[in-house]
Parts: sequence; structure tokens; C-alpha cells
Amino acid sequence: MKREHQETIGGAGSSNGNKAESSSSSMATGKGKLWVEDDQDAGGMDELLAVLGYKIKSSEMADVAQKLEQLEMVLGSEDGFSHLASDTVHYNPSDLSGWVQNMLSEFNNLPSTDLDSSILLSNNQDSQPSTITSLDFSNNSQSKVFVDDSEYDLRAIPGVAAYPQKEFDKSNDRKRMKLTPDGSNTAPALAVNSLQSSNSSCSTSSSPQAIMAVSGTLSEPTRPVVLIDSQETGVHLVHTLLACAEAIQQENLKFADALFKLIGPLASSQAGAMRKVATYFAKALARRIYKIFPQDYYLDSSYSDTLEMHFYETCPYIKFAHFTANQAILEAFANASRVHVIDFGLKQGMQWPALIQALALRPGGPPTFRLTGIGPPQPDNTDALQQVGWKLAQLAQTIGVKFEFRGFVANSLADLEAEILDLRPPEVEAVAVNSVFELHRLLDRPGDIDKVLGSIKAMRPKIVTIVEQEANHNGPVFLDRFNEALHYYSSLFDSLEGSGLTPPSQDLVMSELYLGRQIYNVVACEGADRVERHETLAQWRTRFGSAGFDPVHLGSNAFKQASMLLALFAGGDGYRVEENNGCLMLGWHTRPLIATSAWRPAAGDSQLRVNSAEFELPSQ
Amino acid sequence: MEGNVKEKRPRFCVNDHVDILMEILKRLDGRSLCVSACVCRLWCTIARNDSLWEHLCFRHASPPPSSGVRPVIVALGGYKRLYMVCVRPVLSRLGRLRIAGDSDRDRRVWTRDGVQLSLSLFCVDYYERLGRLGGGGDASGGSSLMFLCKPVNV
Repeated sequence: MKREHQETIGGAGSSNGNKAESSSSSMATGKGKLWVEDDQDAGGMDELLAVLGYKIKSSEMADVAQKLEQLEMVLGSEDGFSHLASDTVHYNPSDLSGWVQNMLSEFNNLPSTDLDSSILLSNNQDSQPSTITSLDFSNNSQSKVFVDDSEYDLRAIPGVAAYPQKEFDKSNDRKRMKLTPDGSNTAPALAVNSLQSSNSSCSTSSSPQAIMAVSGTLSEPTRPVVLIDSQETGVHLVHTLLACAEAIQQENLKFADALFKLIGPLASSQAGAMRKVATYFAKALARRIYKIFPQDYYLDSSYSDTLEMHFYETCPYIKFAHFTANQAILEAFANASRVHVIDFGLKQGMQWPALIQALALRPGGPPTFRLTGIGPPQPDNTDALQQVGWKLAQLAQTIGVKFEFRGFVANSLADLEAEILDLRPPEVEAVAVNSVFELHRLLDRPGDIDKVLGSIKAMRPKIVTIVEQEANHNGPVFLDRFNEALHYYSSLFDSLEGSGLTPPSQDLVMSELYLGRQIYNVVACEGADRVERHETLAQWRTRFGSAGFDPVHLGSNAFKQASMLLALFAGGDGYRVEENNGCLMLGWHTRPLIATSAWRPAAGDSQLRVNSAEFELPSQ
Repeated sequence: MEGNVKEKRPRFCVNDHVDILMEILKRLDGRSLCVSACVCRLWCTIARNDSLWEHLCFRHASPPPSSGVRPVIVALGGYKRLYMVCVRPVLSRLGRLRIAGDSDRDRRVWTRDGVQLSLSLFCVDYYERLGRLGGGGDASGGSSLMFLCKPVNV
């Protein structure tokens, strides 16, 4: 009973009446860790909860628990959300029993002058009777609307009855003052309330009569938000972002615009990763609301390559991808004397030096290594692919590996045909296909991915290594995509924050910009422009499985190397390598972020043998 | 004691016996080896000898890497660079994580995977330097091994 009581507090307290899953993760992890022991002080405040900032008398725990369950039911059943979304006054949840009582009375419209004032008073160190937060709702039966005439004009709340105008004018003068019953807690709570200088002066010395009179109406004070602490602001920020996205989804752009204006101040009240993520998402939402679509995403590939290089240097994701894929390729090439790797996205070729070196040190000596790199057309007609190929050739020559390179320029991987690649038959040459963060771009047009998978099969590779982001950013519903993306990129930014670089580092800024551009694409673009159509490992598994590929398990060597690599990074204890049915996933704390998987064409595919007639045997 | 008796004994100066000197220097740790390079010109020349650093790099590697490794490493920049850029930070970070309660142990045994990882990172470093020398690299001087240089708060 106690256990579930604690969880209810955690659930209701942290969610503040809204969906628990959208509360910021910091709150969840912070509270989750402490539900271990149950030793309580019999007479005084519950120690465990006091550590978290909740002051409840141990003797009242059962009562408060009951009320919280009631509150949860009430919030779940009716449309209490819009009520709360516009209610810009927050109670101090530190005094949990008072808080829960107030919340309940708001919903039930109970006359609450007989609030458990005895309880409140007994909690109050200063025992000032004037500090009761009492809400007398008896005068007003319609309690659903809160009209806020501040600069954030949120009158248009869908589905709620309109509030009569004349009463609104009267209510302007009456600022409903929310005082914390716990006098000792007043100072810090009100100190954070920077927006309300007038309300902060409502000290504990106000007379009870004034408060009673004030509480006669339901109208809101003219100033918004009593922010208790930045954790609450964080939750509020997330809710506002989600509400804005929902408004956009419902094509309610005016409302979305109003919400969007709220996000700015909220975001700047946060610190660190949360602020950066919120800023990027807010900008992306702005692009979507105001229909600004800069066409820069995939045009300037050298710029995005530079950003990606900084991202490569700052955090282990791309290195992890390269090392695990290389290990799989190395194991597949175990005895071959000629090997050929087809890289679907060559970029700067950072993956291949390590493979060339590993091949050079192979026990039987290095094979002949052919590399085919595929890249997008360059705007200034420089041959970026050849430059990369030349560098790799130099490296290969230095360490004594025979090397050949070919570059192919293609707008989309779907334009590629297996025949152009000049492949040799599998008896002569072992082929590997490698794609790091490239396949998801094809998901816009349904036929493309199937065509590419078919081409891959036609290449008859020994192994196909795929690295993709582990998130579903390709759902049909915008709000779901937005929600997923918010959580995904929050984890990514958190990991960047934990990477131990001093804040003004250029690397960090560029890495964040690299991720920020992905955010813009996921949120603000549609149709052919939206290329960041990430899908989860499970979805890719289904695709590959139905296209006729068998999974290849990445061995323990890959796992060990990956773990070792992560241990080298500052903040290395936050990164986690997981093995998932033969695939490796790299994540930050509990959230997997990228996944490496390996495939080969399903055995017994007779169609493959037909194609062998097309290839000529090379002259030896 | 008579001064004459003493002068008859040959004075031993280690600088005359370079092979002994090398044997001694081979057993030093990295920092001491660098310090020893500041002693005098002879020691400086000897300390630059890559075989000393080779010994230092793979002293505690088990199994020791094959002889085929040497030409590759020499081509990519030599053992001294390998030690400074890759082996030292890798070992210190991995060692710190594994030998948590045993900080006074200097010896760190590392596996073939660790050796392989260091070599891969070394190769990537060489490749990046190629890019910068070729004029195609950006002047910011970023390096993919920068993460190894940053202090880790353990």
C-alpha cells in the first residue's frame, strides 16, 4: 500500500495533472531512485519525501494518498487539461496535502473554507492563519474557463465555455493570491516568481478577510505564471511545445502562434541541454507555422560534411557506427583475397582508414581492397569523391595495401544499378555494402527503398552493414513525430552536454548545429524535402526480412571494441552499448540512439544464380 | 684513503655504454622517458629511438602484437607518436576504469582488442593529418582524437 502510495505521488506530483510521460525525464529519474526504503518518522514529516521537497506529515500519508488517487481519477476522466493549461496559477506542491486538497476542490467545486486548515496550520511553522489558500467556489458554478488578459492572450481554448465578459472586468482587480500555507517555504518559492512583483508582496501578513473576498471569483490574476521552480518550468515548456505541435496538427495556426510566443521565455529560463533542444524545436515550429522553408538542407553538402566532422569528433556515435560496421565487414572478409566495399555515403571516408589498417594487419596478409564510394552531386562541381579516394589511396600505399577507388555521383541511391558498379563474381571478389545513415532518406517514395534493396541483392554481397538512428520519425501523424523527435534529440543533446567539453567550444556548437538541422528537417519539412525519415531497428528488420535478407549476428569482438571505445569518451559512463538479437545499439543512459545491424541475402535465392551470366570473368 | 688508489680504477660513465643506457631507458615509463630526453644531447638522441617507444607501447600487451605491426606503425608516424597520441590516453583511461581500487599499480595489461583499437585510432589520426596537409582541411585544426586529449573526470 505504501509503495503504490509513493508511486501515485510521483505520478501525480511530477506530472502536475498532465500526461506523465511528457514530464521531463529529470523529474522522473530523480524521484524514481528514492523509492527504496520505507522507514518513516512516526510523528514528524516523512523524511523520505522531505528529501524530495514534499512536506507531509507521516500521519497524513494515507489520507493524502487517497486524495491523490481521487485527483488522478478526476483528471483522467474529464477534460481537466484545458482548465489547467490556461490556469496560470500554480500551487506549491511542497505542501502536498494542501496542494491536493486545493486541486480537488477546484474540480469538485466544493466550498472549501473548511479546508483541512487544521492540517495546513499544523504544517505551517509560523502558524499564521492568514496563509490559507482557500478557494471559495460556491459563488460560481461554471468553473471551466480562465480568461487571461495578459499579453499571452489565450482566449481561444477549444471546447470550453466562454466566460462572460462583464465578470471578467470585475475580476481584473482581484488578484487571487496563492499563498503557501507553509510559511517557511514562502521565501524561495516567491523568489523564483520573477514575473510578479506585486504578488510577491502578498506576504503572510495579509488578513484572512481580504483573501476570502478575493477568492470569491474564479477569475485569473492578470499576470501569468507563478513558477515555483525550474523543474516545473521544464515540464511546462515541454507541454507548451507539445501543445503548439498539436495546434499545428489541427491546422489551428493562430493558436499555435500564441503558444509559440510562450515558448521563448520558458526556454530561456532553462539551462543547458534543455534550453538548446527547446530553442531548436521552437525554431523548427516557427518555420512550420510561418511557412518558411529554406532550401538549404541538402544542397550544400560540404557544409553539412563539416558539421558532421565536428559531430564525429565530439561524440562517439559515428565512431561507434564505423567501428562496429568495420568489424562485421572484417569478419565477413576473413579469407578473401580480393575485397570490394560499396559505401552508400562516402562523405569524408572516415570509416575506411581503420578498415584498411585492420586488413593490413590481417594474419594472412592484406587482400586487394577496392572501394566504390557514392556521393551526392556537388554544387561547385568539385570532385569531392576523387579527393577522398586519393587520400585513402595514399594511406593504403603507406601501409602496404593494394587499393583501387571509384566514385559515383548520384542524386539518390535509387538511381543506382548494380551493373554500373563493375562487380566481379563472388568467387573472385567478396563484396560488402555499407550504409551509415543513408537508407532512411529513401523512405519518402515507397518504391525507392525496395528498388535499392533489390539492387543490393543483385550485387550479391557477403555482408550488408546498416547503421541507422533508432527512432521513429516517419510516422504519418505530425504530433507523434514531434513527440518522438523531442525525446530523441533531448537524449542526444544531453549526451553532448555530458561530453565534458567546455561550453564555448566550437566543436560542441557545430555538433549541436548538425543535430539542429536534422530537427528542422524532421519538424518543419514535408514531402520530398523531409529526408530525415528515421525508423527503428524493428522496422528495418521487417523491411530487410521481407526483402529477402537474413540477419548476421555481430560478434562479441564488435561488442568489446565498442565498449572499449565508449570507455574512452568523457562521460563514458552515460553511454551504453546493448546487444539486441545480434545487432548493437548505442544509447545514452536508458535510451538507445543508434543501431548497427548486418545482413546477407537469404540463402537459396535462385534468382541470384541467373544473374551470374551477366558478369564476365576477369582475365587473370 | 689515497687519492692515487682511486684514480687507478676506471671511472664508469654510462654515456660510454650506449647499449646499457638503452637497456635502462627501456624500462622507464613514458614520463620518465621524456624527462630523460632532457638530460643531455646523447640521451636526447637515444630517447628518440623508436624501439624504446615500441617497447613502452606494448610492454604490457598480452598477447604481444605480431611483427607485421611494425612497418604499419612506422609508416603511420612511429611508435613515439603512437604512444603520445593513442596508447597513453587509452591505457590511462581504461586502466583507471578497471583498476579502480588499485591506483598505485603502474602496470596495465591490455588485450588485443585494446591494441587494435589504439591502432585504428592512430590510423584515423594519420588520415586526418593527410587531409590537413593536403590543404583541404579546415584551419580549425580539429582532430578526431581530441576526445582523448580532453581531461576525463573519473
